[in-house]
Amino acid sequence: MKILLAEDDFTTRKFMVNFLSKYGECDVTVDGMEAVDAFMMALEDGEPYDLVCLDIMMPVMDGYQALVGIRNLEKQRNVPQEQATKVIMTTALNEERNVKMAFELGCTIYSGKPIDKERFEQAMKKLGLI
Amino acid sequence: MDEISEVKRQAEQGQDASDEHDTPKGKYMTFKAGSEYYGLEIQYVDEIKCFQTITPIPETEDYIKGLINLRGKIIPVIDVRLRFKQEPFEYNDRTCIIVVIVKSTMVGLIVEKIAEVVEIQKENILPPPTIGRMDKTQNKYVYGIGKVGDSVKLLLDPEKLLNDEDMSVLEQANNMEAEEREV
Amino acid sequence: MAEEFNTEGMLDVYLFENEQLLEQLQETVLDQKDAECFDQDSINEIFRAMHTIKGSSGIMMFDNITAISHKLEDVFYYLRESHPEHVPHLKLVEHVLEVADFITSEMDKIRNGSTADGNPESIIKELDKFLDMIKKGVKAEGEELPPENVHVEPQQFYIAPVATDASRFYKVYITFSPETVMANIHAYKVVYAMKEIAEDLLYSPEDIISDEDSAEVIMKEGFRILLQAQCTEKEIRDLIGIGYDIKKVDVYECKAEEFLRGFDFGEQGPQIDLESSVEVIEAKAEKESEPKPVEKPKMAPGDFVIQSKEPGKPKKLAKDKSKNEKAAFISVNVNKMDQLMDLIGELVISQSVVLQNPDLKVPGLDLANFNKAAAQMAKISTDLQNVIMSMRMMPLTNLFQKMNRIVFDVSRKLGKEIEFEMIGEHTEVDKNIIENISDPLMHLVRNAVDHGIETDAERAESGKKEKGRVTLSARTEAGKVWISVMDNGKGLDRAKILAKAKNQGLLDDGKPESSYTDKEVYRFITLPGFSTNEQVTEYSGRGVGMDVVIQNIQAIGGTLEIESTPGFGSTMTLKIPLTLAIIDGIVMETGSSSFVVETGVIKSFISVKEDMMIHEPNGDEYVMIRGECYPVLRLGEWYGLKDYQRSVNEGMMLIFEVEGKTICLFVDRLIGKQEIVVKPIPSYIKKVKGLSGCTQLGDGSIALILDPVGLIE
Repeated sequence: MKILLAEDDFTTRKFMVNFLSKYGECDVTVDGMEAVDAFMMALEDGEPYDLVCLDIMMPVMDGYQALVGIRNLEKQRNVPQEQATKVIMTTALNEERNVKMAFELGCTIYSGKPIDKERFEQAMKKLGLI
Repeated sequence: MDEISEVKRQAEQGQDASDEHDTPKGKYMTFKAGSEYYGLEIQYVDEIKCFQTITPIPETEDYIKGLINLRGKIIPVIDVRLRFKQEPFEYNDRTCIIVVIVKSTMVGLIVEKIAEVVEIQKENILPPPTIGRMDKTQNKYVYGIGKVGDSVKLLLDPEKLLNDEDMSVLEQANNMEAEEREV
Repeated sequence: MAEEFNTEGMLDVYLFENEQLLEQLQETVLDQKDAECFDQDSINEIFRAMHTIKGSSGIMMFDNITAISHKLEDVFYYLRESHPEHVPHLKLVEHVLEVADFITSEMDKIRNGSTADGNPESIIKELDKFLDMIKKGVKAEGEELPPENVHVEPQQFYIAPVATDASRFYKVYITFSPETVMANIHAYKVVYAMKEIAEDLLYSPEDIISDEDSAEVIMKEGFRILLQAQCTEKEIRDLIGIGYDIKKVDVYECKAEEFLRGFDFGEQGPQIDLESSVEVIEAKAEKESEPKPVEKPKMAPGDFVIQSKEPGKPKKLAKDKSKNEKAAFISVNVNKMDQLMDLIGELVISQSVVLQNPDLKVPGLDLANFNKAAAQMAKISTDLQNVIMSMRMMPLTNLFQKMNRIVFDVSRKLGKEIEFEMIGEHTEVDKNIIENISDPLMHLVRNAVDHGIETDAERAESGKKEKGRVTLSARTEAGKVWISVMDNGKGLDRAKILAKAKNQGLLDDGKPESSYTDKEVYRFITLPGFSTNEQVTEYSGRGVGMDVVIQNIQAIGGTLEIESTPGFGSTMTLKIPLTLAIIDGIVMETGSSSFVVETGVIKSFISVKEDMMIHEPNGDEYVMIRGECYPVLRLGEWYGLKDYQRSVNEGMMLIFEVEGKTICLFVDRLIGKQEIVVKPIPSYIKKVKGLSGCTQLGDGSIALILDPVGLIE
């Protein structure tokens, strides 16, 4: 499984890479813009990411903007619904309106921080990722 | 008045300083009641107040003198000498009230005279004598005798000071009722 | 319910919304329990409720709740589509309540932070069997089965943050001792030490390295740190512990959201301006009360871009997050409400201190303007109190609905057909009261169903045609709320109670049984250990109930009245004061002690003369006032006070009336009427009869609050 991670905080980055590496190959970016660029490159190479993990609060472009960017790229290329990449957003913000907006923009899983590893796996199984 | 704020300052410092050191010694607030000097571990002492008007409450133990107004908070005060079943003393302007907090109960102790905060090493604390000049009543509350220089201070257990057998009987009764209810 | 959730967190919203749905569902179901079957509207409502719960639980990945609501949705889908006849209604009602109970108990687990690990298998199996049975019934009638219910699997999931050993958030507040020089450097040492363990760190003041003025700020306001780390409080204290200049360290654990919000630089405290003239101050006040422009609430992608991440500074968002406005309701943390209540109490006290200040008692002072201003302040303060009190008021509806459910459950189990009636359930009372009467009320209702109402056979025998009924009613009267539990059962048996009382040695030897009034006889059932039930049932009759009911009610200053007519039924009425915190009181003095009594209790006060007194040989005293004879209680004597007025001619008589009884209290003098804040007598002091609390008067002295009920007994 190809995974893309966008996280600006060093410690969290280490944790996430550690955690996600056991599911697949993990590419790391440090802000929203880099993440969208990386996603586009992979799309063009014909090897799109299966899973994208976005932090919400990031420099240059936040997680929501990156999400919009990624979904737009997919729309442009007429990527069908079933093949669209699964996007996980991680953040310490747990307000209902944050979650609602994330889902409306096309987020697949919204996980509060600190991450509940068990439930994370459970959700990935439900989505057929593992 | 200055003496009291000095003692308070010592008391506050005592609370911080004792956290750092590993050597087993405690800081005690000492005061005079009757002919003896007593000591109380500093951690229980919240503040020291000069004597102020007490509102008596009817139908309570003789040592419960009543209520005082502590900056808007109303707390009970007890007379330490009466608690020890000694002769009561005349309140004057040296009389102080030591406000203590024991297991989240705040109570004021009326004492004759405040002395200083002393440090007593663990090895200088001896168990209380079972015979001799201390009568049986005090024995309940005193858990040790601390040597400070040439003098001794009788170290008080604040929980025993505030609660006595009557209270615990009441507690037992309450517990029994509660158990019955469960059934 | 809203006040219990202090954030709009996903989990809170989920729990809150679904709780509402389930409450509404239970009400609908109980409403229709006696009908032949559910009407179309109810079927739709239950279907929609289950559909919603299934959906949201699916997103949150609470699989057991999802499964059970999924099954019940299927059942109601079927009922909706094919309108089968002969559906066993009561069985269906029970199933629905079973499912609701399961979901509620799982949500309770979630709310308490534990896992929702309940197993719905058995209930689902039952529902399957039920559904099969109806389907067979329909097929037997030759009807077609409707198409199967379609379920959309959730595609998006929310994972709640885990609270265990991962990162924690702390607020640290450091005070340096007054002699410290260059406090900013000391602060920097602390920050440096923290970096060892910190995952994220913010502090204020921010520029402690180069800005010397920061030392002053630190000395005045203390040094604040917001810390994200995986350590314990002790580890933080150990790290900071170095340095003798640190006077005090406060460490508070907080939530992630609080950490993210950074340092609250709240408003400055109220500035008391003693210099400017009154006109200037009033003009300033008017200017400040002009309405501020309404802010835009919408949130959009891009709001969360970080501008810069410098050490010590909070993650600044490029855009300023504006506060959103909520239309009709906001949820408020209960702690804040309690704080507000305490502050209002303090306000009332300081108002008295100001208005009764000895400085004002200088003779010859013209206080006309002062009094006008004081009256205005008093009015605003009263309005403020009323609004705050009303914020804590909640309707009794939920509580009454709980009782409805209890009547249903108990009557079903006992095989009695009992109706439940509610009157005045929209009456509002203080939240505190609802919490405290919940248990007593349950007990009274259970008693009514279990002992009050006879079995169907007994009712038929005594010729009672109507069904057994339990009526719960509420109304407010004279500052109190009256809540009654009335049953049309067999009433209390006077003879039986007297016999039991005699057995337990509770009767007065000198008093013949016939001289006991009905009320006095009924009162016996409230004594501990009393129960005239031969059989102790699961629900009541253990004899430990009624006395606990009385205790709980008295704890909130209320009383219980018992009325009964043999053969026709009984009524238990709880009378509870609406507000406990601030009451209108009359202050009086006896000897050197001050006392206060609630104004409502005092019928009148009058000076009497010695010749109006009647002295009985056993020491009891009575007084004749306007042709009526009242028992007299001398307060000084009763409490063993010193230096009080002995001569009746020199003191004052107060006529009290409570619970239908009247007495006269003799005191030295009346001081006046005052609004007082009721504070409990510290629990260290054992309860004294006749005293229900204490308060601080305007001059700072303490007055004891008299409890008329205690005095009358």
